[in-house]
Amino acid sequence: MDEPHLKRELGLIRTTMLGVGGSLSAANFVIIGHAASLAGYAIVPIVVVCGLLSLLTMFSYAELGTAIPLAGGEYTFSKVAYGGFTSFLTGWFEWLSNMFYTALSAIGFAYVVSYLFPQINIPLTAVIVVIVFAIINLRGTKETATAETIITIIVLAILGIFVIGGWSFFQGLQAAPPSASPIGILGIFAATAYLFELYLGAEAVAAAQAEVKNPGRNIPLAIVLSAVVLIALYTSVVVVAVGIVPPAVLSEQSSPIAFVAEQALGPAGAILITIGLAITGLAATNEAILAQSRVLYAMSRDGYLPKGLCKIHKRFCTPHVAIIVGAIFTVIFAATGFVNFVVYAVNLGFIIGFSIVNLSVIKLRKIAPHLKRPFKAPLYPLTPIAGIAASAFLVLFIEPSVLILGLELGIVALLVYYIRMVGHHRIRIAFGGISLGLGVFVAFVAYLLGTNSIVLHGVSQEVLTIVFYVLLFISVIQVLAGILNLIISDR
Amino acid sequence: MNVKRVVLKIVGLTQTAIGGLTMLFAFFLFYNLFGIQEILGVSADGIGLYLWTFIIFGLLSVISGLFLFYD
Repeated sequence: MDEPHLKRELGLIRTTMLGVGGSLSAANFVIIGHAASLAGYAIVPIVVVCGLLSLLTMFSYAELGTAIPLAGGEYTFSKVAYGGFTSFLTGWFEWLSNMFYTALSAIGFAYVVSYLFPQINIPLTAVIVVIVFAIINLRGTKETATAETIITIIVLAILGIFVIGGWSFFQGLQAAPPSASPIGILGIFAATAYLFELYLGAEAVAAAQAEVKNPGRNIPLAIVLSAVVLIALYTSVVVVAVGIVPPAVLSEQSSPIAFVAEQALGPAGAILITIGLAITGLAATNEAILAQSRVLYAMSRDGYLPKGLCKIHKRFCTPHVAIIVGAIFTVIFAATGFVNFVVYAVNLGFIIGFSIVNLSVIKLRKIAPHLKRPFKAPLYPLTPIAGIAASAFLVLFIEPSVLILGLELGIVALLVYYIRMVGHHRIRIAFGGISLGLGVFVAFVAYLLGTNSIVLHGVSQEVLTIVFYVLLFISVIQVLAGILNLIISDR
Repeated sequence: MNVKRVVLKIVGLTQTAIGGLTMLFAFFLFYNLFGIQEILGVSADGIGLYLWTFIIFGLLSVISGLFLFYD
């Protein structure tokens, strides 16, 4: 698919709206409840800290986005800076994090809607949303910054009503004594790692650099402005939320902000906020499906993944195979309905992506000092180094099961990369050897079992005999397969 | 289709099936479906190790089998 030549028609305000709109998602307003249970009233400064940590990496995005005017985000940056396995790994995790983000947006939408319609099945609703938007993406979407701007302004207006109305209500209440995190400093760090997700998507400003007027000036300004708007927005929403409803109660709600709106503004407030958040949930799902399919497409086009993934539909001119493959994986995770697991998975993927973007800035400053950079990250090298350090620190507080999943996905990435990149002949020799080894090993286990060298307590002789013959059969097949793989690779 | 090709297909398919069944077996063992842990006298403590071993064994067998099958 040829990259279209885009017109530079986005001014500062619309570019800023891209960053703000890119970060707004229904899920962000659902996860506030769990974060409040981790951090108590300390959630307010945590929201500000997360915004500032994210801003460190946004400077790197701005530098690379203006210096490397190609589509693809962090995958493209790492390809230019490092190439090889690093760029493959970046693309791999960029796709995974976008895939998890799609699932999260859909689950977030389902939770928000469930506030008004408690009888709905959350995983099923999330799955339906993913399938519907995958079909819409298959038919092709006309992405316009104007639509994004309009949606963002509507949602900001609704949230503005919530904050102003909630603040007036909050002033009439007796001030509750502020309490610290119920689980201490570790709870505060855990909430920081959890809420990092709030600001993801602001990098859309750097990704849209090809359409921005005077990018050297407008992109960095838009990045800072969108960060300021988002920090102000999330902080005021959280201040009003925990001011009206105690954190412990907030964490029990399917849609904490709608619950707060109902307390402060009545049922109409809850309906209004639900409509606003539902719109952001759908928009975020659509954008995430688009983003993940384009990453798969780009990796396939570059030869990292099977060529079938970069096929373009003749009628709709969309990468339909990439969209379908991405949607299948998304549906699996959306069907779990596990918000916290998916939030941490999104964060892990983006933290890896952010680290590689910061490393790419440092590498490119060294290997390409004369590269034209319309914008340079301020206080270099402190900003990218601080961004990497913050990412590394946050990883420590990600749920262990998600870290294990991340490690496994990293191993799968390594396997996929070597299967794609190393010659077919060598892989067959390797698998021939592996099969032979497995065959000999299984034969040895069968021998030990047959000679009663291994004693299995409580297992009948009949079962042992069956296991012995099964192992013998497996051993023969493995040895045969090994020999055949070696013979064929030698042709 | 010559004899060699038939042998490749049969061995490849069998090895892939063994790999798939091994992974399925790992799943059964992990969740103790049909009381399989008691039948084989496996203690619940070392179940994680068995799970990993069987999954890796199964994965390698499936890949190797598919190489032969699609030769």
